[in-house]
Amino acid sequence: MGNLNSKTLKLINKIIDFDDINNIKFYEKILLMVSKIYPKATLAIFFCEDVRFNLKVSNPKYKPFSIDKEDLYNFFNSDNEYEVVKYQKCDFFKKNTLFIKLSIQDSIFGLLALSADDDINEDIVEAFLTVSKILSYKIKDYELNEVFKMQLRAMQDAIAEKDDAYSVIKKQHKKLQEIDKTKSLFLANISHELRTPLNAIIGFSQALDSQIFGSLNDKQGEYIKDIQISGLHLLGMINEILDLSKLESNAMKFCPVELNPAVVINEVINILEPLYKNKNISVVFKNEFDGNIYADNQKFQQILYNLISNAIKFTPQNGKIEIHQLVKDKKYILKIKDNGIGIDKKYHSKIFKKFVHLNNVYSKNQTSTGLGLTITKELVKLHKGKITLESELNKGSCFTMEFSNIIR
Amino acid sequence: MNILVIEDNELNMKLFNDILKYLNYNVDCAYDGLEGFNKIKENNYNLIILDIQLPKLNGFDLLDKLKTENIKTPEIIIVSACAMDCDKQKAKEYNIDTYITKPIDIKNFLNIVKSKLGA
Repeated sequence: MGNLNSKTLKLINKIIDFDDINNIKFYEKILLMVSKIYPKATLAIFFCEDVRFNLKVSNPKYKPFSIDKEDLYNFFNSDNEYEVVKYQKCDFFKKNTLFIKLSIQDSIFGLLALSADDDINEDIVEAFLTVSKILSYKIKDYELNEVFKMQLRAMQDAIAEKDDAYSVIKKQHKKLQEIDKTKSLFLANISHELRTPLNAIIGFSQALDSQIFGSLNDKQGEYIKDIQISGLHLLGMINEILDLSKLESNAMKFCPVELNPAVVINEVINILEPLYKNKNISVVFKNEFDGNIYADNQKFQQILYNLISNAIKFTPQNGKIEIHQLVKDKKYILKIKDNGIGIDKKYHSKIFKKFVHLNNVYSKNQTSTGLGLTITKELVKLHKGKITLESELNKGSCFTMEFSNIIR
Repeated sequence: MNILVIEDNELNMKLFNDILKYLNYNVDCAYDGLEGFNKIKENNYNLIILDIQLPKLNGFDLLDKLKTENIKTPEIIIVSACAMDCDKQKAKEYNIDTYITKPIDIKNFLNIVKSKLGA
C-alpha cells in the first residue's frame, strides 16, 4: 500500500499542476492524467443530470452514455464513499467497476468510475479515493473559473460599453465647447459691431447736450437726454450680455485678494449716493463684522452695486435700505434689505433667470436689462457662495448671500 | 497742436473731428491703417487717436510697422470698440496705457486728450 501511495502522491502532484489546462479539453486531460495511476483500467466521469448519470468523458472514448442502474442510485443516496460493482456483461464497464462519489462539501455532483478486468484491491480504492477528492476540487475549481471568466467577460463588455458611451460624451462635450467658443466669439463681434454706431449716437448727443455748438430749447434738451439714456441702456445691455457670456463659458477672470468688505460697501454706497438721495431714501450700513475676506475686488463691488442699485430702483420715495454684514457659523453673511415694493412669491423661482422683468409701477421709468440678478448670482457662485431671496409683495425684499470659505 | 485720427467709420471720424476742432486742434484724418502709417511717416503729429480694427492694416500691425521702420511715434490714444481684455493687454505690451473703449464719454475723452498734450 505504501508503494502505491507514494506513486499516487507523485501523480496527484501532477494533477494539481493543471494550471495550463484552461480549455474545453480540461476533462479529457484530467482523465488522462488519472489513468496513468492504473493504466489497465477504463476511467469515466459521470455528472448528475436529473436522475441519470451522463458520461462526461471516458478513457478510452465512448459515445455519450448514461447509467441508471438502481444499485448506483442506492449507492448515490447512501453514506458510502465508494462501491465496487461486479458486471457479468456490459458494453462499457469491465468485470470489476469501482464507483466513487465526486463531491464538494457533501454536495455530490458526479461519479468517477474505474473499470478493470482485474480485482480492485484496497490499495487501488484508497488511491482513487484520494484522487477523486482532488478531482472534485479540480473540477469545481475549473467550473468556478469558467463562471468567473464569464463574469469577467461580461464585466469587460460592460466596461467597453461604458468606454463607448464615454467617448460619445467626450465628443459631444468637445462639440459643445466648440459651439460655446463660437457663441463667445459671436458675442464679442456683436459687441464690437454695436459699439461703433453707439459711439456716434452717444457721442453726438453728448456734444449736443453740452451745447458747445449752440444752445438747445427745452424740448430739444429733453430729447437729447432721452437719446443718451437709451444709448447708455443699450450699452449696459451689451456689457451685461458680454459679462454673462464670459461667466457662462468660465472665461471670466477671477482674481481674489484679501480685502475689507466694509470699505467696499462704503465705496458703493458713495457711488450710488446721487441715486438714493434723489429719492430721499435712507441707506443704513449695519456692520457686525470687523475683518477681511478673500474676494475679487471688482466682482464683489459689482455684486453690491447690482443689489443696492436694484434696491434703490424698487424702493419708493423716503424708503429705507439696510446693508448688513455679519458672521454666523464661520460663514460671512451679507444682506441687502429694502422696504420697497417687494416681489410676489410666485416670481421667486424666476427672479435669477435671464431676461426676467417684473411689470410694476416703479420699474416703468427704469431702464433694466433683465440680466443684473443673473450676473449677480453667477458672481456670487464664483466666490463659492449662494444667494437667496426673501420677499413679500409690498413688504420689501431681502437678498441674503452666504459665503463659507472667504473669511481671512 | 496736430492730431491724427485713424478711424474707418465715417460718423465716428466726424465726431472726433468736430469735437477736437472745437478745442482748436488741427485735425488730420486717415480712414485705414496704411493711410495712417503714411501720414505719420510724412508729418509731425503731437497725438494720434488710433482705432484697432481697420482696413488694410490694423492698429497693432501699424504700430509694428512703425517700429520696424524706426519711425518716431508720438503720443497714442487707442479708441477701440473691442471690449475684451485681450486687446487692452496687448496695448500694454506696446507701452500704450491709454485704451478707451467705445462708446466714449466726450468730456472724459477731451480731458484725456488735453492731459496727453500737456495743456
